[in-house]
Amino acid sequence: MKIIIAGAGAVGFHLADLLSRENQDITLIDTNEEILEYATTHLDVLTIKGDATSIAILEQVEVEKAKLFLAVTTSETTNLLSAILAKQLGAKKTIARVNNPEYLEKSQVKNFQKLGVDQLISPQQLAAQEIERLLQRCSFTDIFEFEEGKISVVGLTIDNTSPLIGKKIRKIDELNPDFSFKGIAILRNHKTIIPRGNTIIQKGDHLYLVTQNKHIDKATAFVGKQLQTVKHIMIIGGTNLALRTAQLLEDKYAISLVLNDKEIGKKFLEKLQNTLVIIANSSNIDALKEEGLEGMDAFIALTPNSETNIITSLLAEELGVYKTIVLVDNVNYTHISQNIGVDTIINKKLIAANEIFRFVRKGKIQAIASLHGVEAEMIEFLIHKKNRLIKHPIRKLHLPKEAVIAGVIRGEQSIIPDGDFTFELKDKVIVFSLPEAIYRVEQLFK
Amino acid sequence: MINTGIISNTLGVLLLIVGGMMLTALPFSLYFKDGATLSILEASIVTILLGGGSLYYKFKNREKIGKREGYLVVAMGWLSMSLVGMLPYLFSGVLPNLSDAFFESVSGLTTTGASVLNDIEAVPQGILFWRSLTQWIGGMGIIVLTVAIFPLLGIGGVELFVAEAPGPTSDKIHPRIKETAKRLWLIYVGLSTLLTLILYLNGMTFFDAINHGLTTMATGGFSTKNASMAYFSPGIQYWVMLFMFLAGINYTIIYYGLKGKFKKVWSSDEFKTYTLLVGTLILMVTILLYTSTNIPLEQAFRVSSFQIISLITTTGFVSADYTAWTPALTFLFFVLLFIGACAGSTSGGIKIIRHLALFKNSILEFKRLLHPKALIRLKIDKQLVAPRVLTHILVFLLLYLMLFLLGSFIMSFILADFEHPFLTAIGAIATALGNVGPGIGEVGPLNNFAAIPVSGKWFLSFFMLLGRLELFTILILFMPYFWQRN
Repeated sequence: MKIIIAGAGAVGFHLADLLSRENQDITLIDTNEEILEYATTHLDVLTIKGDATSIAILEQVEVEKAKLFLAVTTSETTNLLSAILAKQLGAKKTIARVNNPEYLEKSQVKNFQKLGVDQLISPQQLAAQEIERLLQRCSFTDIFEFEEGKISVVGLTIDNTSPLIGKKIRKIDELNPDFSFKGIAILRNHKTIIPRGNTIIQKGDHLYLVTQNKHIDKATAFVGKQLQTVKHIMIIGGTNLALRTAQLLEDKYAISLVLNDKEIGKKFLEKLQNTLVIIANSSNIDALKEEGLEGMDAFIALTPNSETNIITSLLAEELGVYKTIVLVDNVNYTHISQNIGVDTIINKKLIAANEIFRFVRKGKIQAIASLHGVEAEMIEFLIHKKNRLIKHPIRKLHLPKEAVIAGVIRGEQSIIPDGDFTFELKDKVIVFSLPEAIYRVEQLFK
Repeated sequence: MINTGIISNTLGVLLLIVGGMMLTALPFSLYFKDGATLSILEASIVTILLGGGSLYYKFKNREKIGKREGYLVVAMGWLSMSLVGMLPYLFSGVLPNLSDAFFESVSGLTTTGASVLNDIEAVPQGILFWRSLTQWIGGMGIIVLTVAIFPLLGIGGVELFVAEAPGPTSDKIHPRIKETAKRLWLIYVGLSTLLTLILYLNGMTFFDAINHGLTTMATGGFSTKNASMAYFSPGIQYWVMLFMFLAGINYTIIYYGLKGKFKKVWSSDEFKTYTLLVGTLILMVTILLYTSTNIPLEQAFRVSSFQIISLITTTGFVSADYTAWTPALTFLFFVLLFIGACAGSTSGGIKIIRHLALFKNSILEFKRLLHPKALIRLKIDKQLVAPRVLTHILVFLLLYLMLFLLGSFIMSFILADFEHPFLTAIGAIATALGNVGPGIGEVGPLNNFAAIPVSGKWFLSFFMLLGRLELFTILILFMPYFWQRN
């Protein structure tokens, strides 16, 4: 499948990386020669230097043959214009990255489709929504909802007080007969483990488990986490993401937004109604303390600087802030951050890439999600025709060892299956798989 | 420096309009054979001649109007209208004294409604109609001022909407001022006609109906009866109440309401405050009145809500003597003289939006003390209020208070022979400055201003003009640098 990506910035590069590993034909357009050179040497892609809004360039990359045109430069106007042009020139589907929240309103979808932009993606909006979800279930570090929340995969860290420490997974299953509870992955010392019956839970494990939404509270208590509701939140950073997040949250929570720049603060003030905008050095922990950091329930670090975000959030945790969410756009930090105790990491790039990925793979694959710091993916498949998948129970399907069936959605029902479970037609199956097995899993469900 | 041509030109047009309007009193005069027909005709002719002369003095002046000319036109416009407006009273002999006639004319054109007439019902009908019409003309003038002129000069309640951020300004319903003014006038004329019709159908005579229709929508308060609204049936009082309330709403908001954009109506902080304030006050006073006197519930509700709406919208109709209930209520009604309704309506006084800005900002000041580093700014209608606008509002409030204190002080000298000089003085000044009508003390709801000495009448006339033209327009003329070349 021919895919053209305009913009080799953070999102574009990450997408090119993901998609090229899927054996897609990627053409990358950017005006910056250095980035393209780096891309050529590190990825299996074709690169073209030029402006994505130029007809000549679009013709040069044979946009008419493209199944998908992704406009993900940092400029909103470039993205919209190049997507429109690409569509007119024959590209099959177009996706443009935008920032303006007005464009994302439901009423505008048709207008943009008329223009030739099939889908709009806003990393900021997605990240802000992710933060909102994380705050609602603040015991968890990650939440992935499938099929409008019928099944969720949640991640949490096993701390000292957890009653599960030193127990085998099989034992744990026996302990709680009243609800389905299935650990699907453990992140332990940089390594991802798919737990088997005799795997023993250790202190500091990062456990991912799949559960039905109605059981989430029970699962939380079971793992030894206390339910806590968040009311007071401090956000740091003068970024657009900080603004979007504050806008999204300010009606439900009491928010203090700390940022350095007075001019930016004034602009934010016009768009915020209930948020307390504070001008202070957001990397200075004393200044944050003065503004009441210790009394906060949650701390969200959204400055453009990943290091500042990580350090301040660690300090906030030390001061007793219950929940910290950290924007880490530098992928290289993701692994260590979780190891040194950063609670929850969000990455705009990953979030946006997942969203686009979902769109790219639409059809046979329903949804996909990447876990932070875990070398694995969750993929949702639809059982679309009668084949051997529905003839045998799961244990006889010869699923790769590196993959596990996390959940099944059958109509309005959600099921967490065991080995004796048999699929039916139209079942939606959520598979958790390490990268080396993704290809085999995809073949199996094809 | 100051372009006299443009001023005489504008005043000329204004006087021609007023002269023309005077003629509309003739049919009533002729119908009732009140004997004042000739005097009205004379007054009209004099006005038209004056206007024509003023217009002809520099005909077709194409100079652009500057800020100074703007202030002068507004101040002199109201003054000259008041001067010609007293001609019918003088010529007909209803008010033979210059001070009385001028007071009545100013009270009309500023939509105040304070009167020096002892027996209103004995006045010729043509003159009575003219008296009501002056209020209606004043109301119409206020709409032009708030829509077209005050924004240019940067004063008036609407200065709030000269927003710092270039957003949709709430007070412009059409890009062209002329079109905006036309639409608002249409509402004004439409509501006046509607009320006249309703009052007529509810049993008023056509003459009474049209007079009250005119003075209600102007939030004026001149009545054709000595007993004011108390003369009429409860049904009529409820209708008048409703229209007084409507007249106190920002006309732009009424426009949106008529267009069915209720979301926009309810998103106006000022409108919300106005409604809630009136509602709360009515509830409070009704309960107080019902429990502390032996007035039946319906009547307690009716008289208290009527007086509250009448005073808050600065109309000044009277349906009961609010100073006769309890001292606390007298004080409350005195305080109401300082509230005023929404900016952009025909009401006078300080206006809700200024109170709202002051109140909200005071609350924010406490927040600022707790969070010295936080950026805390006043927002109204979810829009930031520019610091300059806020300063302007605070200066206005301070000036208003100072003028009230100074005016009361001087008035106490003038009224030295009265039985309650102090109460009467503060009541008279508060009601004049707020363009309300009735005050407290010896200018209370059942009294009138006839007994005020000549000097007092001139002084109060000046205060009515001050209040009507939002203080700054008049006061700026007393500033030396207004007259300096640069």
